[in-house]
Amino acid sequence: MNIIVCIKQVPDSTQVKVDPKTGTLIRAGVPSILNPYDHFALEKALEIKQKTGAKVTVLSMGPNQAVAVLRLALALGADEGVLLSDRAFAGSDTWATAYALATAIRKIGSYDLILCGQMAIDGDTAQTGPGIANQLGIPQITFCSNVDANGNQVVVKKLIDGGKQILEADMPVLVTMTMPVDYAPKYPSFLAAHKAQEKTIYTWTAADIGADPGKLGLNGSPTRVDRIFPPPARQKGEMVSGSPAELAAKLVEILKKESFVK
Amino acid sequence: MAKNDLTTRNLMLDSLRQYAKNRISFNLIREHDAKNEIPLDILKEMYDHDVLGIHLLLIPEEYGGLGGQTTEIYRICEQLARIDLGIATGVFATFLGSDPLNVGGTPEQKAKWFKKIAHENKLVAYGATEADAGSDLVSLRTRAEHVVKDGKVVGYKITGSKMWISNGGVADIYTVLALAPGGPSWFIVEKGTPGFTQDAHEDKHGIRLSNTAGLAFDEVYVPAENLIGLKEGQGFLQAQAVFGYTRLMVAAFGLGGGEQAVETALEYAGQRIQAGGPLSQKQGFMLKLITPHYIRFEAARAYIDWTAKQLEVNNHGLATEGAIAKLYATESGNKAAEDAIQAMGGFGYTKEFAVEKIKRDVKITCIYEGTSEVLEMTIFRGRWQEHLKSRGQYYLNQAAEFDAIHAQNPQVGADSVALGFRALARVLEDCRVNKLTRHQYVTFMLGDLISEIEVAAVFTHECANKRVTEGSRFDIASLCTMARVNARQSAFKVASEGLRLVLGTCPNINTAELSQAVNLVGIEDKMRGLIDDMDQVSAKLREIFKK
Repeated sequence: MNIIVCIKQVPDSTQVKVDPKTGTLIRAGVPSILNPYDHFALEKALEIKQKTGAKVTVLSMGPNQAVAVLRLALALGADEGVLLSDRAFAGSDTWATAYALATAIRKIGSYDLILCGQMAIDGDTAQTGPGIANQLGIPQITFCSNVDANGNQVVVKKLIDGGKQILEADMPVLVTMTMPVDYAPKYPSFLAAHKAQEKTIYTWTAADIGADPGKLGLNGSPTRVDRIFPPPARQKGEMVSGSPAELAAKLVEILKKESFVK
Repeated sequence: MAKNDLTTRNLMLDSLRQYAKNRISFNLIREHDAKNEIPLDILKEMYDHDVLGIHLLLIPEEYGGLGGQTTEIYRICEQLARIDLGIATGVFATFLGSDPLNVGGTPEQKAKWFKKIAHENKLVAYGATEADAGSDLVSLRTRAEHVVKDGKVVGYKITGSKMWISNGGVADIYTVLALAPGGPSWFIVEKGTPGFTQDAHEDKHGIRLSNTAGLAFDEVYVPAENLIGLKEGQGFLQAQAVFGYTRLMVAAFGLGGGEQAVETALEYAGQRIQAGGPLSQKQGFMLKLITPHYIRFEAARAYIDWTAKQLEVNNHGLATEGAIAKLYATESGNKAAEDAIQAMGGFGYTKEFAVEKIKRDVKITCIYEGTSEVLEMTIFRGRWQEHLKSRGQYYLNQAAEFDAIHAQNPQVGADSVALGFRALARVLEDCRVNKLTRHQYVTFMLGDLISEIEVAAVFTHECANKRVTEGSRFDIASLCTMARVNARQSAFKVASEGLRLVLGTCPNINTAELSQAVNLVGIEDKMRGLIDDMDQVSAKLREIFKK
């Protein structure tokens, strides 16, 4: 069985600020991490590898520094890495990114299961995974908290409003993973980090994967970002106090005053 | 296998940070600090191959280790110090304890002991210090006498005592320096060997998460094969061969401890509203208590990294550079931690915040592996020889190099470095002519001035080459501003302190003439724009460390 995990290097969102004057992200000195949803998806892929002996390939698109997240994945147990790195990819939105990744997946060749994080914490779009499935013309199951696979089928736990679904699907299939609220990502030992240097990371350009340049980068991206801004600070609320009866009376008064009730 | 590349180094650092985040809470540290107790389970877990295997870094690859290079070891040391200097010391003691083996062991000894340390996760301790023998190992009292059988030396009986040994009470393997008939020699002694006992854990001012204990040897028998290198009398050489390297690790401790303290204070200052705004927006607060320290950290980082890269080529040696790195970084870290308490006011003085503990911890870095005063003497001796050998040209030649750098890149303070070198050359020459180095105090202070200007020179040099030292969070433009500030202040310190020393010990020298000779006015003239530059650095610090 062949599993491909799509991963992305993102700025550690807990440390990213938006410059209120320019509306751009302040990236200075902000460390980069593996997108936590992707990290979780990778761990799930490696669990399947443990059970079935599947081959796990990690795929990422980004500048050369993104090799760091591929190396992390290899140190955790993935077998091979592919980095799509080319100026032609720069500025791609989720549509163009999905096209590039799907084109690379076709070049990788055989695959049974493609795992993606539900979304990246820098963009929060949750569109790239479904976009890849669409490009490849394979089924997708999104928003899964667990995934298991034998050679032919996957079984996933999909979160839905008010509960969860257990779904089975034939392969090939693309699954996007959410992660537990208290998720603490695994990191490799020093020895594993050291040994990961021996594993192969291929770097492919747009030409290497035979991508149509018109479908990449800003040209291939229908999305235009108008502006980025931090949400306005919440107005200070009004605190009321008193006995339950008094509070009820006050609340009714406020609701009437604000015309929520007549 | 290939040496660890930058990506691997950063990955190891991420793993260490993540481990600390999950397993070493501030509460755990605080409790162990209060109880004066080593978190032995944590230390053992950090040695676990499947968790981190941190001790493997110092073990050569052929014996199952990672053959860590100086750069990754110092960066790990810096990160460890940010977590807790006591835990850092526990790990470092294993590094240090293994060094005599690394430097002097035979292949068979290395195979036997390194494999044991690597695979059985053994803690190691370095047993050199005695009551009367610290940096001055010549006064060594512990003895190793021959045990002869059939006319052949089959073993040694070690008798004596050691004090202040890190991991002393908890190690499994000890490397012990003792006076054999053929001279000082290192021996390997295992815990549990009859006659070998460990004293109670010391009640220390800081690094209370590190076990420190005395060792007692009462005719402790070790087989002849435990004599490191199988040759007596190599002990001092083996000890000194690693000073450049081990001191660099402690330099990284000073840097890491200091950074952690200042960053804690800076985070607090971003939230503490006084007189209508956060403290971090107040110029006086920043320029007095925060910004100068971060400038020194970046200078120290550049110097430590530069020395590490040299050590990787030269393997051992660089005793003067190791001493400069340690003196500069640990004294900077210590002063920074002191100011971090001040910056946080009453909060800084309580145990609710980490800075009070860091201040107690980081002080040790100015003491162990050579006190600051021993280092000043080492630095002075090293460079005094260069001054004499070159007939006073040593620093003048470097001044000319920095003139050339300034011509190419006028934004990095190379002009001030050149002025500082010339002033230093003049002060050293006056000391030679007037025999001023008969004053021990002068030699200490000269060691300090040498370290000050040499660190500034390396920082400026790296900036001129647009090199951002790995681990730095600043962009090159900000680093250039920092180098400019640092160079100006270092040159001023060299000239003004140099004047004070010469005039203070040699009253018949003409003050105006000497002042002109060290070009004090020229150095002062470079101060234009200094405060603006420092304000720029403050702004950058606020941006980078804003929560």
